[in-house]
Amino acid sequence: MDAPKTPLKNPKGASKLLANLPSKGLFSSAVVSSNLGGMRVYVTDHDTSPPENQLIKTDQVNILIRSLLLKQQQKVESSGKGAKEGSRKRASERAVDGRTSTKRAASISQPQPEGPKSRIPDDLQRCTVERIKFLLKERGLSQRGKKANSWQDELIARLRAAADGASSAT
Amino acid sequence: MSTYNYVVTAHKPTNVTHSCVGNFTGPQELNLIIAKCTRIEIHLLTPQGLQPMLDVPIYGRIATLELFRPHGETQDLLFIATERYKFCVLQWDADANEVITRAMGDVSDRIGRPTDNGQIGIIDPDCRLIGLHLYDGLFKVIPFDNKGQLKEAFNIRLEELQVLDIKFLYGCPKPTIVVLYQDNKDARHVKTYEVSLKDKDFVEGPWSQNNLDNGADLLIPVPPPFCGVLIIGEETIVYCSASAFKAIPIRPSITRAYGRVDADGSRYLLGDHSGLLHLLVIAHEKEKVTGLKIELLGETSIASTISYLDNAFVYVGSSYGDSQLVKLNLQPDAKGSYVEVLERYVNLGPIVDFCVVDLERQGQGQVVTCSGAYKDGSLRIVRNGIGINEQASVELQGIKGMWSLRSATDDLYDTFLVVSFISETRILAMNLEDELEETEIEGFCSQVQTLFCHDAVHNQLVQVTSSSVRLVSSTSRELRHEWHAPADYSINVATANATQVLLATRGGHLVYLEIGDGILVEKKHAQLKYDISCLDINPIGENPNFSNLAAVGMWTDISVRIFSLPDLNLITEEQLGGEIIPRSVLLCAFEGIPYLLCALGDGHLLNFLLNTTTGELTNRKKVSLGTQPITLRTFSSKNTTHVFAASDRPTVIYSSNKKLLYSNVNLKEVSHMCPFNSAAFPDSLAIAKEGELTIGTIDDIQKLHIRSIPLGEHARRICHQEQSRTFAICSLKYNQSSTEDSEMHFIRLLDDQTFEFMSTYSLDQFEYGCSILNCSFSDDSNAYYCVGTAYVMPEENEPTKGRILVFMVEEGKLQLVAEKETKGAVYSLNAFNGKLLAAINQKIQLYKWMLRDDGTRELQSECGHHGHILALYVQTRGDFIVVGDLMKSISLLIYKHEEGAIEERARDYNANWMSAVEILDDDIYLGAENNFNLFTVRKNSEGATDEERGRLEVVGEYHLGEFVNRFRHGSLVMRLPDSDVGQIPTIIFGTVNGVIGVIASLPQDQYIFMEKLQTNLRKVIKGVGGLSHEQWRSFYSEKKTVDSRNFLDGDLIESFLDLGRNRMEEISKTMNVSVEELMKRVEELTRLH
Repeated sequence: MDAPKTPLKNPKGASKLLANLPSKGLFSSAVVSSNLGGMRVYVTDHDTSPPENQLIKTDQVNILIRSLLLKQQQKVESSGKGAKEGSRKRASERAVDGRTSTKRAASISQPQPEGPKSRIPDDLQRCTVERIKFLLKERGLSQRGKKANSWQDELIARLRAAADGASSAT
Repeated sequence: MSTYNYVVTAHKPTNVTHSCVGNFTGPQELNLIIAKCTRIEIHLLTPQGLQPMLDVPIYGRIATLELFRPHGETQDLLFIATERYKFCVLQWDADANEVITRAMGDVSDRIGRPTDNGQIGIIDPDCRLIGLHLYDGLFKVIPFDNKGQLKEAFNIRLEELQVLDIKFLYGCPKPTIVVLYQDNKDARHVKTYEVSLKDKDFVEGPWSQNNLDNGADLLIPVPPPFCGVLIIGEETIVYCSASAFKAIPIRPSITRAYGRVDADGSRYLLGDHSGLLHLLVIAHEKEKVTGLKIELLGETSIASTISYLDNAFVYVGSSYGDSQLVKLNLQPDAKGSYVEVLERYVNLGPIVDFCVVDLERQGQGQVVTCSGAYKDGSLRIVRNGIGINEQASVELQGIKGMWSLRSATDDLYDTFLVVSFISETRILAMNLEDELEETEIEGFCSQVQTLFCHDAVHNQLVQVTSSSVRLVSSTSRELRHEWHAPADYSINVATANATQVLLATRGGHLVYLEIGDGILVEKKHAQLKYDISCLDINPIGENPNFSNLAAVGMWTDISVRIFSLPDLNLITEEQLGGEIIPRSVLLCAFEGIPYLLCALGDGHLLNFLLNTTTGELTNRKKVSLGTQPITLRTFSSKNTTHVFAASDRPTVIYSSNKKLLYSNVNLKEVSHMCPFNSAAFPDSLAIAKEGELTIGTIDDIQKLHIRSIPLGEHARRICHQEQSRTFAICSLKYNQSSTEDSEMHFIRLLDDQTFEFMSTYSLDQFEYGCSILNCSFSDDSNAYYCVGTAYVMPEENEPTKGRILVFMVEEGKLQLVAEKETKGAVYSLNAFNGKLLAAINQKIQLYKWMLRDDGTRELQSECGHHGHILALYVQTRGDFIVVGDLMKSISLLIYKHEEGAIEERARDYNANWMSAVEILDDDIYLGAENNFNLFTVRKNSEGATDEERGRLEVVGEYHLGEFVNRFRHGSLVMRLPDSDVGQIPTIIFGTVNGVIGVIASLPQDQYIFMEKLQTNLRKVIKGVGGLSHEQWRSFYSEKKTVDSRNFLDGDLIESFLDLGRNRMEEISKTMNVSVEELMKRVEELTRLH
């Protein structure tokens, strides 16, 4: 069993390739000893909890939501640099729609400059609840509501009120 | 009731899964770090070789192990991820000699499908992030900040679902991974992605490569200046980068491991599935890759990991055979191999099957395992204790004492062996032919019994007889001086070292002499109250020739006293208690700690810590070694001093981790022992047994002794037959010589002493040996080997045909006496009420052994029971049958004699995929399943309803972290009937990682006590890397995670003995039990294995 099963084609070949193996002076003794003392079994009686901030957890936000939020954040940053007009944002806001295809989320690579908040569409009644919730969340408003039917209305009302408030403030 | 179980490791895992080399323990120190599934070993590379440093238990099964160095660090950090989704970053604190936790965390996700191809954990070469692939379709990133601290982890979607390997590329401005994956048409491709930390997403990478070798399975990233990747396939190896594509065809092989030789990545070692080691070279001109070259170097164990150490030395870690330290020679040897194996590190894994036997009939179990796989398959005989290998022996009756002497003080070897009898003394010496022959030392008195002999300074020898002390020249062998005991005061006991003699005469007189050049000087005399039973002046101080202390054992008041020398003042007196006199005392030092050992006439041994300056004796401990008086002697092996305790149960006392350990010796009764280090038999011992003098060498001093029997094929089942003194194994041999791989299956008969093949029965093509049993039948006193087989046809999902073969051993040959065809694979065979119980696919079938008219025998089907998915493991007890099912946990069947039928009584309704079952007692059954858990179930005979009675209640759960292949009743240690542990029933288990463990069923009160101790130990002994013991031992499967119950972790409990004194006291205080009591109770448990 010791001999290689296939004969070496070029017996000298490997010699050349094995030349100049790296050495740092270890294993240099003529006789390599097999008995250099025993192995200590390690018993830990000191505190092994990691230093503060080094107990690592995973970001639990859904990947899709996270990419949206990130985009949002970038929008804030870029808007901070001057782009304040809202007129250019219509195209980009569609990309932020809650049902962006998964493929798209994975391939978002070149974020476009975007404004701080999505504009509130006029036909809010025709929007999905998710879309409304997203808009509410953007504005830091509560997403809660009562009962299925009136729920949507309640949310819309809240959103409108907030939008009105904002516009009256300006 | 065996509800309360204590699980402890007798043999640690030896399956090497990972290894890496780096500067872990210091900026200038190069370390080899080896992962053995649940343990990490740290070695230091030195000019002399590999120096073991630390064996670190990890509370988890190690999935990935990587060394890395963040910016600004002077030494490497160790990253470990476990299979239960924990990770930690460890750092070595050289000042405290401790492993400290830099970071740790949980990287599990609530949703996600665990990867099929194993977990991947990689670190960016520029230390920007750690990448983990744990769930299909997700790539987890743990980023580093610029100070080398870790930040919150996040997941990135990975479109490729069938990932085979992921590695980081070198030399990229942004961290870039290369992914080897398989598409839904089973074609394999490579793709690169940049990780954008800002967007927390992937960006399409610089290149990709489609339609690679269909067997491509491994990526090797190549460091600068090339910065590409090697894609290792089964038929081709490809070097790929943005600018280059070079391929080389190879002999078909599956590469299992690689090791980088040069820092620039121009040479790699590749280890394949058949154990061949290749050198892969990237040919290049400056920084441009021009091609690849591959050369076969030779053969090693089948590698699971390869680490190039230094100066042509390579560590080959193996899962299927022994791990090795090999040297790459520049010139091939006679067989054309460039590989020289310098050292083998024992690996028992995978233990597929084993049996417990008592080959030497000493009442001590030995485990014979089927270990290793493929060409590295072997049998291993694992025995607790130390073996003496006999070199020579002569018949000699009535030996009363033995001493070895040198012919000159500075001689390296012993020349003479003085053997004392009741009325004479004989001197044996090695002659020129290296034979032991009788000789004479003229100055010795040979007509009387010798009490003691020793080498003395100035080339002299000392002989003490009952009347005098004689000082003899070792060169001229003539008497130089003699000291006579006063008349009427005959010498009873005596001891000596190179410069001192201490003797005791009748009437309690103690006389101290010193040895000069040709003169014996009486220095001191003392009168004690009682007679003296034993003496010792073995030097343990700095001067190897002179002792400052003398130990004296007393009759009448049963005490041991310490006197100072040379003034013979009493310093300490210790009452031994009881009525048994001390028969032998010994001063000795283990690992630099001085001890006083004191052996009693009833086989007990006391040991004390000795303060050499004050003579104070502390930390008294008592153990039972045998039942007869013990004689203590020191000896050395591999430059370490150990103590041999000769008695009816000879024992070697040694120290490990500053703890005294006791190991049985494989000899029956030894009356005397002395070291005899002669030129012909170096490091040997002379041993006086009943009517015999033996010279033998001693095995390595360790707790378990392992003997390897390499088979060159894979043994899968084993059993022993007492009557024929043989083993029978089912084995398979792989033939890779031809173009097509083929397997051949055999039943082989082996001698149980020499382990030579005596006889072989070849199975048919496609026929596998599945089970083997030694049994006899009712109305037939012969012992038979029964073998169950299966025809494994390539086109069938489950075998539909098998055989039961019944063999008899006649004149050392296997004779087939009966055969019976079955309708499936015979997974298990059991002797059952004088009949044969077989598990055949989903059925349990009982066979009778019938005599035919012509006098031959046959198996006749009696009854059966359906209702399993696959009945894989079966155990029986009385009329009860316990079945471990492929996926339906444990069920209990009963055989009804009157009706001749097998019926189901109860089952466990959990969906456990079983790997082994065993019956602990009438009501409790033990199971192991494929998520590395153990559990016990209880039969509920008192249940009120049928439904309750038909349910096996789960009473114990525990995460072992090991895949158990077999349970067997038995014990590795000699059970002394008088000890408490002698009453505790034990089960031995064997696992894939080569662990041999013991499960002991404790009485309830002991269990409660130990559970309390375990709870307290958890607070003191912390998991390395901040991993929690409680979580580690919790029962864990895909469906549930629950705290362990009714199982104790013996490894944790026994590490109490390794704690420092103040930690012990801390625990003693909270438990309200004295440290001594705690130690005693834990030490008792250590004697279970």
